Amino acid sequence: MTDAKYHAPEAGSLEGRVFRPANAGELSEAIELAFDYRGDITVELKSGDRVMGYLFNRTATGAQPTIELFPSTSSGTMTIPYSEIAAIAFTGEDTATGKSWETWIAKKDSERRLEVDRVAAEAKARGHL
Amino acid sequence: MAVPVSQMYTVTKYVLTQKLRGVKRYPLVLMLEPLFRCNLACAGCGKIQYPDHVLDKRLTPAQCWAAADECAAPIISIPGGEPLIHPEMPEIVRGLVERKKYVYLCTNAILMERKLDDYPPSKFLTFSVHMDGLRDEHDLAVCRDGVYDVAVKAIKAALKRGHRVTTNTTLFDDANPERVRKFFDEMMGLGVEGMMISPGYSYQKAPDQQHFLKRSRTTELFSKILSNRKRDWQFNQSPLFLEFLMGRRQYQCTPWGNPTYNVFGWQRPCYLLQEGYAPSFRELMEKTDWDAYGTGRNEKCADCMVHCGYEASAVEDTFGSLSGFTKTVKITLLPNAR
Repeated sequence: MTDAKYHAPEAGSLEGRVFRPANAGELSEAIELAFDYRGDITVELKSGDRVMGYLFNRTATGAQPTIELFPSTSSGTMTIPYSEIAAIAFTGEDTATGKSWETWIAKKDSERRLEVDRVAAEAKARGHL
Repeated sequence: MAVPVSQMYTVTKYVLTQKLRGVKRYPLVLMLEPLFRCNLACAGCGKIQYPDHVLDKRLTPAQCWAAADECAAPIISIPGGEPLIHPEMPEIVRGLVERKKYVYLCTNAILMERKLDDYPPSKFLTFSVHMDGLRDEHDLAVCRDGVYDVAVKAIKAALKRGHRVTTNTTLFDDANPERVRKFFDEMMGLGVEGMMISPGYSYQKAPDQQHFLKRSRTTELFSKILSNRKRDWQFNQSPLFLEFLMGRRQYQCTPWGNPTYNVFGWQRPCYLLQEGYAPSFRELMEKTDWDAYGTGRNEKCADCMVHCGYEASAVEDTFGSLSGFTKTVKITLLPNAR
């Protein structure tokens, strides 16, 4: 259980956006956005390879700045140097969007009930209820 | 008394030892998050929003014990997610209890009664049940009807078996002080050992003026709730932290007091802010720019009065000066004294 009530600013989500930075400053900016994003991203490498996963950390300083991901299709973590990144795409569902307390309260009772039932069904299917 | 003498003695000895050694920054409570998956999806929860493959990750017992050894805090709080979902949680708790850590197993209590047999009662283990108020308020907060009643039933069952049980309540500025006072009566009537309360943390950025207003609203709310408090209300937290919530004391945040370890690593700088992760506790302590956080130092911290930042500040005040210690003793004996 957490003790935070998330008052999220309901601005537009980054879901679906693709950032192809032209310089180091733009790359850093895109990485910061990806770090705050609550969904998977796809990193396109300069080699042409693509890695999809959740970006959970970045080390922006030092001789070789890096990002760290949980790849979505394998266990373990992956570290990628900033210098190898060609583009960052926000490909996964933004799991935070529309989930603020204010949004919940603003919903109609019927919509809330549907959401509660869906969450309950998922938890039951996992054996968590 | 809200906590056993042995626990108070352990914490006091630990804090004084750190002070005698000249340690400036020391952890008091390790926030150990072994998973983010939960069986509730409370609207506005700032913790559980991740892709499924991240929610499926769990810390192993060995990782949990290593974090406890590395950090060395005398108290370990296990939030989440919902810890009782973790299939190895009994083993994790057993290992921590063997290390003589005081464990607060935070739960929404949905699975608690079913799982009680997995946890032998111990003075080192407390079920910390998240209760956001009386039935209506709680069920609305967790977005599911009936959870309050399930939790109350589980609390009774745990107490009957000899478990230590506390409640953990987060309040926001829309809370009704009278209802909260009734809620305290209700919880103490159940026989819980003590209650923990804290204002919630809002992640929303806002201009400075609003921050000040929000903070003053928080102190106003807690003043209404805690002024003229009943003698049988037991709070499982520092009396000076309650004074802080009422606006009677000013503290700066002590973010290293409650370090967080989870599937991402050691979270910088605290349980609520994600500024990055350190691979070791030592690196967290040595390479985090602590001066960049706290009220007046960081916009994200402006409104925060949450226990994970300020409880340790209150403890530091208690043991850091004769006046702080005297005030703590006075308020412990006479809760309504000024």
